[in-house]
Amino acid sequence: MPEEEDLQARFLPQFVTLARARVATAVAAALRGDHGATTTTVRELHSLAGEAGLLGLQEVIPLARDSEQKAKRLHASHAAADADALVAALRQLATVIEGIGTTRSP
Amino acid sequence: MATSSKGRFIVRAEIRSSSESVISYGIELTATSIFVVTEWHAAIGTPVSLRLSFPRILEPIDLPARISDIRIAGEPGELGGIRLTFDGGSSEVAGKLIALLDRVNAPFARSSEEVPYRVLLVDDSQLVRDMFAHGTAQFFDRPGALAVDDAEDAEQAWAKLASSTYDLVIVDYILPAEDGASLIAKLRRDTRLASTPIIAISVAGRDAREATLSAGADVFVDKPLMFRDLFNTLRMLAEHRARVRPAAQRKSILVFDDSPFALALTRAALESAGFKVAVAEDLSSFERQRVTFDPDLILVDVQMPEAFGDDVASTLRGWHGVQVPIVLLSSLDQGELERRAQRAQASGYICKGAGMSELVRRCRELLEAAP
Repeated sequence: MPEEEDLQARFLPQFVTLARARVATAVAAALRGDHGATTTTVRELHSLAGEAGLLGLQEVIPLARDSEQKAKRLHASHAAADADALVAALRQLATVIEGIGTTRSP
Repeated sequence: MATSSKGRFIVRAEIRSSSESVISYGIELTATSIFVVTEWHAAIGTPVSLRLSFPRILEPIDLPARISDIRIAGEPGELGGIRLTFDGGSSEVAGKLIALLDRVNAPFARSSEEVPYRVLLVDDSQLVRDMFAHGTAQFFDRPGALAVDDAEDAEQAWAKLASSTYDLVIVDYILPAEDGASLIAKLRRDTRLASTPIIAISVAGRDAREATLSAGADVFVDKPLMFRDLFNTLRMLAEHRARVRPAAQRKSILVFDDSPFALALTRAALESAGFKVAVAEDLSSFERQRVTFDPDLILVDVQMPEAFGDDVASTLRGWHGVQVPIVLLSSLDQGELERRAQRAQASGYICKGAGMSELVRRCRELLEAAP
């Protein structure tokens, strides 16, 4: 629907700004081994997936959900390997978000 | 005095070209063209899709157009932008445009004089507030047609909004303590005030425009203000007030989600589809809104910090006896969401990943099916 495109144009810049900040915070927490922050990371990534879905950003959804699952795993294990896997997933997510910010923002 | 300023009013202008999408505002509307204030431009002759509106007041008009002139910003107050000349192919479009111009230039109806159009100006500059008051007193040659109130910051504005009713709020972006975008977002979250038309103003250009439009402003206008255009716009809005579809005739939807961004986006989509919308970010707000707003449909996110949406839905159904449709809205897997919706006796579920069109379609469907 045309309104959906209008809404995307209106809300995309805010989404990109918000998503960048969320992913950067999650990466920083994982890198410094702040396991107490993983609950927040899980919640933020879940929100990010939902917001991307509402905006129709299909390429973001699986990456955000994958990162969310990896954050849940890290929350349970506190293992360095799971932290590395989360950081790798988050970096992939960050790349896609940057791509959206560059190509789709007005 | 007012009728001599034909076309000098402000509308929201949304431009889409093959590569860009821009939301700004237009002035100098004639039957053949409009000037749109924007930093964006393309080559002269470039075709664009143009939508003109004043959200919540004037229905959008879609027009095919072409860039016919480019004006670079020069002296302070001299706005840069592009002139768009409408493609003349569609008589239906031309008819709508002429109807819009006619409405804008119609004389004040008697009813408009009897009930003043109430405007709240929120600006920290005493001089701007004085200029506005002085200008409106001069421009509106029928005393009582317009009632202007003002506030110097967001806190004072909120206090006035809580105790009075305004037909329009004009908000400066740069305010002490809490900025204008924050005030606008707060206004949009409030059940009583959410549908108030808002014009945002600022000297801060594009950043302020993006922030205020994202927060829910209907139109953004650069400072220094072109008072004549603004007053003409107020006059047009006053004239239109009586024609606005009564809110009571619209179906109402309450959305409960812990993400302010998701709430803003959902609200915008549902409002543009004609629904009356209230939002809640936490349980206490949800409970308050549910009672005061009395929605025809409730949309609930599932995973929230204070409660699971399916538990909320189940309690509303089983304990409170709520009869209106309750729908789970989530980014969970479809299968999981379906199971949760069934267990909670919810009326259905909507996957966030399906996008806004599906959200609007499902809400319409459920409301039509509701007794």
